[in-house]
Amino acid sequence: TCRVSMSMAEIRAGFTAIKANIQSRDPIRTLSILSHPHSLHKVKSSDRCCITHQLFTFYVDKVFKHCRTEDSFVNRKISSIANSFLSVRRKLGQCREQNNCVCGEESTEKFKQILANYEGLNVTSAAMKSLGELDILLDWMEKSR
Amino acid sequence: DALLPAPQSISILSTNMKHFLTWSPVIIQGATVRYSVEFQGEYEREYANGSWIPIPECSLTTATLCNITQDISASVAYKLRVRAELGASRSPWATTEGFFNRATTSLTPPTLRVLADGHHLLVELADMGPSFQFRVLYWRKGQESRVQQKVLEEVSSVVHLDTMEAGAEYCVKAQAHVEAINRSSSFSPTQCVRAQGDTSMWLV
Repeated sequence: TCRVSMSMAEIRAGFTAIKANIQSRDPIRTLSILSHPHSLHKVKSSDRCCITHQLFTFYVDKVFKHCRTEDSFVNRKISSIANSFLSVRRKLGQCREQNNCVCGEESTEKFKQILANYEGLNVTSAAMKSLGELDILLDWMEKSR
Repeated sequence: DALLPAPQSISILSTNMKHFLTWSPVIIQGATVRYSVEFQGEYEREYANGSWIPIPECSLTTATLCNITQDISASVAYKLRVRAELGASRSPWATTEGFFNRATTSLTPPTLRVLADGHHLLVELADMGPSFQFRVLYWRKGQESRVQQKVLEEVSSVVHLDTMEAGAEYCVKAQAHVEAINRSSSFSPTQCVRAQGDTSMWLV
C-alpha cells in the first residue's frame, strides 16, 4: 500500500471554499463522473494505490486546466488544489515504483469508466463536474486510509 | 513617456509557514507609484501554459510587501513577480530568481510557559498557525533518562502534562512540527518548575 503524507486538510479546505461556486456551474445533476455506474468504494484495497495515482493524474492532466473562471478567488483556490495534487501525485508515483503497485483488472476497468464518463460531456462541463465531485475522491481516500 | 523602471531587490521572506514578497520602492519624484503582484505554481508552469495568477490583495498597492501565504499553499516550486504602475504606464515585471518552495521556510522553536499548579505540571504554548503541531518533552530533574513525550495536534489553552511528586523539580522543552513539509524546529530552551512541597496537616 502507499502511505503518502499529504495535506488532505489543505486540499479539503481549498475545495470547501469554492465547492458551492463550482457545483453551481454544473447543470447536469443526473450524471456522475466518479461514481457512475459504481462507487469508488467498490475498488479492492490492493488496487487503491494504482487508481489513486491514476485519478490524481486525471485531475492534473485533464481537469484543472479547463476550470479557469472569471472569479479570482476561485482561480486561486483551484491553483492551490492543482499544485497540491501535483505534489501528491509525484509522491504517489514514487510510491508506486517502489512498491510495484500493480493496476488490477478492476481498477483499470473503473478508471476506463471514469474516462468514458468524462469524454461523454463537452470538456468544460466535464471538467467542472469532475472538480465539483472532488469531495467524493477526498472522502473515499480518507475512508480508505 | 519614460519607461517606468521595474522594482529591484525582489525577495521572499518565509518564517514559520508565513511567506512575504518584498521589493525596493520605485522612486518617481512627486508621484505615488503602485505595484501589482502575481504568482505561478509548478502546475501553471507545466500544465497551464505558464500562466500567472494575480493576487488581488496586492494589486495597485503602495506597499512594498505582499503576504503571499494564502497562495503558496502546496509543497511545489513557485515563482513570483511584481511590477510598478503609475497611471497608465507599467514597468516590466521583476520576477523572483529561482524558485520558492515552502518546504524551505525557517522554523523557530515554539514559545512556551511552564507552570506548576500545586502538584500539576502544566504548559502553555503560543499559537503558530494551522499547519503546526508540537512535540513536548518533560522529565523529572535528575531522571533525564526517563523523558516523556506528548504530541499536541493543536494549541488549546493550558495543557496538563503530569502530576508531580511533592517538592520535586520537573523540566519541559518543546519543538514545532509541520506535517505538510515534514520538518521540525529546534527545541525551545528548557524550563523547569518545582512542585509544591507537601503541606499535609499533622493532627496533634
